[in-house]
Formats: sequence, C-alpha cells, structure tokens
Amino acid sequence: MRTLFQKRLKPGVDGVPVINVEGEWLNKLLGKEYAVEELADTLEQIGCDVEDIVTVERFRCPVCGNAVEGSLGADVTRRCNWCEHEQEQPFERIGESQVIRLDLLAARPDLFDVGGIARALKGYFEEVVGLPKYDVGTSDLELVVDPSVDGEDCQRPFIRCAIVEMEQIDDATLVALMKLQEALHWGVGRDRKLASIGVYDLDQISGPLQYTTIDPDSERFEPLGRPGEQMTGREILEKHPKGTAYAKLLEDHRRFPVLKDSKGVVLSMPPIINSESTKVSQNSRRLFIDVTGISESAVVKSLDTFVSSLLEMGGTAKSVSVKPLSGETFDSPDLSPREVEIDLESANRWLGLPLDQDSLKASLNRMRLDVTPVDGSDSRFTVRYPALRTDFKHMVDVFEDLAIGYGYKNIVPSYAGQATTGQSRPEDDQSDMFRSVMLGLGYGEIMSLPMTTEELHFEKFKLPVPDSYPKIANPKLKAMTVVRTHLMTGVMEHLRENRRAPLPLRFFELDNVTVLDSQAETGAREERHLAIVEMGKDASYASIRSVIDSLMFEIGATATFESITHPSFIPGRVAAFETDSEVRGVLGELHPEVILNFGLDHPVALAELTVSKIDV
Amino acid sequence: MAETLQLDEFSYSVWETLAKHEEIGLNELAAALKSDQSRVLVSIQEAANQKFATICEESFDELIPSSEAVSLVNEGLPERKALTLLLESNGELGTGDFAKAANQSGIAVNDVFRWGTARGWIERDKQGVRITDSGRKAGEGEKDVDEVAILEAAGQPTSLENAPEAARIKQLLGKRNELAKIKSRNRRTVSLTAEGRKLLESGKISVKKERNLLSAEDIRSGAWKEITLRPYDVTLSAETVRPAKVHPLRKIIEQTRRAYLEMGFTEVVSPMVESSFWNFDALFQPQDHPARDMQDTFYMANPATTDLPDDAELVDRVRHAHEDGGDTGSEGWGYRWSPERAKQVVLRTHTTASTIRALARHPEPPLKTFCVGWVCRNETMSYKHLPVFHQVDGIVIDKNASLATLLGTLETFYMKMGFQQVKFKPAFYPYTEPSVDVVVYLESRGKWIEMGGSGIFRPEVTEPLGCKHPVMAWGLGMERLAMIRYGLSDIRELYQGRIEALEEMALHQ
Repeated sequence: MRTLFQKRLKPGVDGVPVINVEGEWLNKLLGKEYAVEELADTLEQIGCDVEDIVTVERFRCPVCGNAVEGSLGADVTRRCNWCEHEQEQPFERIGESQVIRLDLLAARPDLFDVGGIARALKGYFEEVVGLPKYDVGTSDLELVVDPSVDGEDCQRPFIRCAIVEMEQIDDATLVALMKLQEALHWGVGRDRKLASIGVYDLDQISGPLQYTTIDPDSERFEPLGRPGEQMTGREILEKHPKGTAYAKLLEDHRRFPVLKDSKGVVLSMPPIINSESTKVSQNSRRLFIDVTGISESAVVKSLDTFVSSLLEMGGTAKSVSVKPLSGETFDSPDLSPREVEIDLESANRWLGLPLDQDSLKASLNRMRLDVTPVDGSDSRFTVRYPALRTDFKHMVDVFEDLAIGYGYKNIVPSYAGQATTGQSRPEDDQSDMFRSVMLGLGYGEIMSLPMTTEELHFEKFKLPVPDSYPKIANPKLKAMTVVRTHLMTGVMEHLRENRRAPLPLRFFELDNVTVLDSQAETGAREERHLAIVEMGKDASYASIRSVIDSLMFEIGATATFESITHPSFIPGRVAAFETDSEVRGVLGELHPEVILNFGLDHPVALAELTVSKIDV
Repeated sequence: MAETLQLDEFSYSVWETLAKHEEIGLNELAAALKSDQSRVLVSIQEAANQKFATICEESFDELIPSSEAVSLVNEGLPERKALTLLLESNGELGTGDFAKAANQSGIAVNDVFRWGTARGWIERDKQGVRITDSGRKAGEGEKDVDEVAILEAAGQPTSLENAPEAARIKQLLGKRNELAKIKSRNRRTVSLTAEGRKLLESGKISVKKERNLLSAEDIRSGAWKEITLRPYDVTLSAETVRPAKVHPLRKIIEQTRRAYLEMGFTEVVSPMVESSFWNFDALFQPQDHPARDMQDTFYMANPATTDLPDDAELVDRVRHAHEDGGDTGSEGWGYRWSPERAKQVVLRTHTTASTIRALARHPEPPLKTFCVGWVCRNETMSYKHLPVFHQVDGIVIDKNASLATLLGTLETFYMKMGFQQVKFKPAFYPYTEPSVDVVVYLESRGKWIEMGGSGIFRPEVTEPLGCKHPVMAWGLGMERLAMIRYGLSDIRELYQGRIEALEEMALHQ
C-alpha cells in the first residue's frame, strides 16, 4: 500500500500486519478436505500475499480465560492481548494448529479473516458461486444517537451496529474475531481514528441503547481487563494500557463518547475500550456489534465487512433500528448488494482476453459476483457485488476481478506494440565515457546516499552553512537533514570507512546533486557531478591534475585553470577550471583540518566536477 | 646408467654441496645453499629418480617448551608442591582438608589431582589423598623425566629422539600447554649414492644456465638459446589482484537501462525534489492516504512549496478525479481536494513521478519511456532497509495495451534482465487495475522470488492527464535485486564503502 511497485524486502515490515488462517477451519467452512498447500496456492491466485505455512500454538489467559495465539517461534506466552494481563508464569498451552500466514492487503478488507477468505475460496473452487446471500432479520433493539457526539466537546458522529447470533463461540472464533477487529482497525479505521469496532454479549445488555457522551472526570465504569475496578474516562486514558495507547484520539475532547444501555450500564467508551460487564465469552451466543467513527464510509465499510465475515462463519444477522442525529431512522446493517455496469468489449480490450458472455459470467461468478445482461444487450452487463467490496470505484475494478476469475495463469502473454526507437539520456552517455576513463586510471567507483547533514556537508569542509540549501523538514534519521549539493561528503566518508586499507586509495563517484533554483519548476534542479579522490603519500595537486588533464583529453575539452581560494583546500594548492563545454570544476590538496575532521591523517587530493546540467 | 647428465646451475651446486657430506639434513643443505628446502628438494628428487641420490625420511617428536616452562618447573609444579603438603601430614589427608590446605597455599587442586595421579605420585579415593612411594621419592627432590627435559631444553625446541623415557614425556606434556607442546616432525636426510658420486667425479655432468626470467639482453643477443627457463607449476595460483571496477549496483542499473533501451524505450529523468502533485495527486493517491503522512514521506523545508502545473485545466481534471471521478467514469474518493496539499514539496517516493510527467507531456501513443533514479522513504536504516534507494519504472502507452500485452512485455523485460522463467500473480497496487506481481525463478538459489510490481494505470490516473489509452506500467527496486544477485546479507554494504566488500561482489552475478 505504500507505493507503486515497490516489493518489500521482508514481509511484515512497513507495519503491514500478518494474519494466520487456520487450514482446518477453512476446510470446515469449505466443507472439503483441501491440503493446506493447495489452499495457500489458491490464495496466491486470488491475489493474497502468502508468506508461509506454519504451526502456531494456543494458550489460555488465566485472568480473562480467552485463548491467546503464541507468537511465531516463541515456546511460551506470558501476555494476554485480550485483557493485557501479564505474568511471570507461562500460560497454559491448549493446542496447536497449522496456519497459512498472510500479509493483509490494505485494499481488500473483505479478505482480512477466515470468513472472508472462505467466501472467496468457495467461489474460486466453484463450490458456491455468485453473489453471497446475506439475510438480515429484524429485532426490536433500538439505538438513539445523542447530539453531543457531534458537537464542540466531542467529535465522533457516526455509528452503525448489528446483532449476530452464533451457534457456538469457541476459542478459535474469539481469536478470529479479535484479529479481524484489529485488522479492520488497521486497514480501514486508520488505527481506530476513522472507525473503531466494539463487540459485546447482547444478553448482558438491555435496550434501547444510547450513543452519547460522558464527563471524563465524574462518571465511572468498569473497563475490560480490570474486573471490580471503577474508573473515570480520564483515569482510563492515564492508567489503562489500552487507554494510554489510544489517548491521543480523545485528548482534545471535553466529553468522551460512550454507548449506554437503558439501565445506564456503559458498554464501551469508543474508540478506547469496552466494559468488563458486557464482554464476550465462550458462553455468549448473541453478539451486539457497533462501529463508531469520524468517517461515515469507513464506519459502514468496517461494519459490513465484520458482520459478513461472522455470517460466513455460521452466524445469523439481525438489524438494529438506529435513530441518527438528523434524517430518518434506519435499519443497520444494510448488506444489500450494490450494482455497477460494465461493457464486455471494454473488458476484452482492457484485459486482452477473448471473453464471451458465458466466460464473462463464469469468471465473475467465481469471484462471488452476479452478472445479468442489460435489457437484452449482448455487450452491456449489470454486475452486482456485495456491499463490503468497497474497492469497486470504476468499471476497471470489475475488470480486475474478471482477470483473477479467469485466472492469471490462463492469460496468454502477447508482445504487441508499435516499433519505437530507444533513446538514453545524454548525461548518461557522457557518464559512461567518464566512468571508463576513471576505471582505466585505476579509480574504483563508489556510490553514496544522497542525503547527509549540515555538519558533514558543510562544517567538516570548513564551509559556512549557506542561508539557503535543500533542507528536509521531517527526517526520521538525524543523519538525513540535507539533500546533497556536492559529492565530497560521500567520497570522504568512504575514505574514512577504509582508513585501514592499504594506501593509496583512489575512488570516484558519478551521480546527481541537487541545486536550488527559483527558475526550476519545483524550486530545485539536478546536476551530474563527478568527484575524484586520492589518499596516500603521493596524493597531490599534480596527481589529481594529471587525472583531470587526461579526462579533458578524452572528452575533447580544453580546460583553463586559475588559482582560487577555497576553505576546504590548502591555500595555493587549489584551482578552478572551466572548459568550452558545461564541464567545470575544482581540484586541489585538501586542507589538513578537513582531513582531520574526517578522522584521517594522510594527504588527500580531491576534485569535484560539474559534468552536465540536467534538462528535464 | 646415463653416460652424461645435464643439470641446471642450481642443481649442480646442490650436487657439489652434497658431495662434501656423507649425508646431510635437508634444512642444513638448504641453509648452506642459501635457498629454500622445496627448491633444493626438487633437484634432489630428480637425482633420486635416477638413483644418484637418496632421500631418507624419519619422524620424531619435538618438545616446544612454553616461555614460562623453566620458571614453572623451577618454582615447583602444583603436584610437586602438593607432595610437601602431604608429607607434612604423614602422607595422607581427607579430600576436603587437602583442598582447603592446597587453596591456602595457592596450589591448583585440579592440576594436582590430574598430574599427580598421572605421575603416580598420589592416590585418590573416598578416604582422601595419599602419597605413593614414587611420590615420596619425588618429594625428596628427584625430578621427573619431563621436568628434566624442560630444564635441558632451556626454552628451545628440542628433539625427543634421544631423551630417556620419551613416551612418558609425551604422555605428561602432550596435553599440558602451559608447560610445552609436543609436535610430530619430519626430518629428511639426503645423500649422494655411490653412482652419483662417481658421475660427479667423472666430470660428465654438463651445466646449463638457468634463469627465472629472460632479460631483454638475453633475447637480443641470442643467449636465450643456452638458457634453461625453469618450468613453472602452472596449476598454482598467483597473487590476488583486484581491478578498479564499476560499482556492483551501477552494473545492475546499467543492465536494467540496457534492457529498456533494447526494447525501444526512451529514458526520462526529473529531480528527486518533487511536488506532491506529481508524486501523489496525479497518481490518484488520496490526500489522506497514510503514505502521504509526515511519518512516511520526506517533506522539504526548502523548497517547501511549489506552484501547481501551468495547465489549469489539467489540475482541474485531477481535482475532479479525486473529488467525484470527473469524466473518468469513477466515483472518485469523495473528499474535498486541497490544492495546498498538492503544492507541498517532497522527496519523491517513486520514479513513477517521473514517468507520469512524461505521460502528461506526451499522452498520445506510442510512448515507451522509463526512469531510473533515487527514491526516498522516511524510514530508519537496517540491514534490509534503506530510506533512500534506486527504483526503475517504465510505462507504455499503446492503442493495443492490455493485461495480456503487459504480461508479454514483462516476460520480455525480465528475460532481458537474465531470468529464464517468469510467473505472474494478482496483486493490489493503488494506481493500477489490474495489478500484477512478477515472480522470477532464481537459478542460483533454486527458488521463486517476487521481483516487482506492475499493472495498467487506472483511468482516474491517465484520463485527467489527457491520455485515453490503456497504459502499462511496471517497476522494481534496484538494491533488492542487487542483494539477491550478489547474495548480500546487509543492504548497507552497497553504500558503506568497505572496499573489500565491493571487491568481493563479482560482476558476473
């Protein structure tokens, strides 16, 4: 999700969560006995990022009694991620299972959990094709939204909710529910900011419910994980682990949002924590689910995805009647399918496939979508998709499903296209020549990172820090505050890294530097530079001058040299040169103070050339 | 037997020196000739093959005393000190008492038990520690054989050939490094045989001049004809030299550029300092997308902002694509687009910023263009992660572009990159629909590796920029490829500049 086309070096970086999908459970939902490897392979074909297949262990938390999944490679668990309980003594082990580890796809919340994945696999294996049917019954539960949630003191105006009844809720289901909740918080809720989900035991609640606010300092309730302890909202933010973790989401609120039942029992204080008294356990059968947030679309998406997954796991849904701040009372959830119209010819053109009506229908049905021709047309079709497929914005999004349903494996690659002539950049052609001369002279090529610091870029070279230079506003690393304007820092750092290597050391670097230029479109342009360095007893003006002279000969330029003063070099042993082309530069013997500043103690001769301006 | 023999100058001098001795050690001979043993041995071996010389090999043990050995023996070894303790207690002590007494006198108890028992000086059982008869003798001052040997060696390596009870010395000192090491040595004794002596005396040996290298004078004058050039052992390796070479990452970048150029692509560039507009907005990345957070992207303090493109209509179409989809047939993101956010200057997060600029300049087919350059992520550094690295990105505008032609183009590209087998799987990237991950087979590791992403640009990306045709796009990270190719365990090796590390990355990889 970070950017286009950059593969991660290792999964799990970039903060992308990994989920474990239990093979046995998937098979139970699919009603077949597929090998775990086959399941993993099929998941790859529908676009999941399968990391590997592993065995994970489950442990029981002695305080809340919930099952906790062990982390990979750890033999024991001492911390509960349900109630935050932590102890010295390892938890009791209750079993293990073979799981497929998947990187979550931020774009596809409908594939965040075992229920959603089972739904997709049923289609792909052609066990159950077409639109999933989600019936939502009615209930007499009502929820009223108090205007205070959308005021100056509190801003979390949107809420959706649902009732789901399950035949049984075992450890695995509870773990899966929590994982899905976490995944949706990450992928849709932007870490609970846009939307956050709460799950409760409906039998501990009496309707009608109220979504309202409380005073952070006077009203108390018993937060999850602290049985018997009544805390105020503010105390929770300050003392409870979940409170401190998410305090920033409420810090500018003068009243905190809460869900209350008709007896005044607090169900939760979103987006921070639920109450202990309404928590879900293995005895729960009827669940109440709410999603609150500041983005209505994220709230709806989270709820639809969450509820649909529970239904795939065998639950049945009932609606709640919600009376919003403005507008009419509505029933939540609304899982009715959405529609988009597509054109067969466009699809074939976009994908390069020879699809007809039948293969179009078969491919989309496999992706759990329904297709019907538009009024007798044989080229236009209405595609119906489940509410939770919020990634559908455009016809091309359906085309992607079409391609996946058809199978990437089945697409025959073709190489078409008009003949064109390749053309490289002039500065790169020029650099090829510089590079071959430098290598021929026995100088090895180095590369260094284009970001550095004021100290390394200016101060160590005895250069004043300029008033204006390419400066980074928000570097995470202190070593990256300046975008380089010359290449001397990189070559000097390379000398320092190799100070114990046999002398003489001879390097060059050929790369771009950034130059501020108010005429340039973004206020900065680049130049191709060449830096040359030699360290050793024979490094001198004469030795570096020989190099420059031979470069000038090979590129056919005539250089004129003049003595200059430059703080980084020994006075009287530094020159600037110009040519009849863009090539120009500075060369000389580096000042002893500069040499010492870089932790070195041998003579250094250095040259830096501007070899071309880069015209975009 | 040969009537005459031809020898080179050196071998002849070996014969001559040999003749002066009945027999002589190879090392002494080499010393006498101021040469090394291996060279001398070659000459003698040759003579021995013709029965003119004999080589006699024998092995012996050598005692190499440690530098403290003499003083340790003179001071009294721990087991000897223990004898005194025991004698003072009528020759017997309980183990505990003994250990206590030994500790008080600074005697290493373990050494006493190990070596005292080995020497047969003491006996140990449940009752305690007891001195034996030979222990009593030793206690009266009689030195053990190894002690004698160490004192006689006086710090110098000494042969044990003639030492009394060599086996006992070996047993006692073989595993006692603080005193000495025992090494097994070979000695070669060489001599001329009667035939050899006869031949040498007969004067029937002719001597040929021998050189290692010819001089220019030798070649010019014709002297080379009389000179034997000693044959080399051509199987031996010579001194290691390392060339000044192109940077290993540069080599991969050049290979990649070449693949694109051979496929008829035009190379484009743009500065690393880029506007949010081209880096994000033009690619339909919503302004509240997490990738645009200060956490993830480098924002510039100078230049901090820039103007939007001059083409106001283009900017307006981009705005509409974000807000409601505009004319692209999309729903858009449904938020209010902020021109101010688009003006913020960033360090580009992908080279797609450059290719998308090329697309906007030239929205008509055919366009095949690529960009390779630095891209930046505001992250920390680790063995697998750099906050700034090289990415290459290519796009194709073609009337017939489709997912199928994208796959064909990728296959061609990756084969040019040296991968013989290429597979595709669905992926999800924010600006392409459909999206494809390329998986290549890595011969050297025998496994499939995800290499790069690709896809067809969403219409919300291309249409606002004036392009009405499908656009294929793909990219990959250069450092990751370098890590895989050169088998690096730490990505920083490419930039930290340890010369040895760079030298070890052979260019063929």
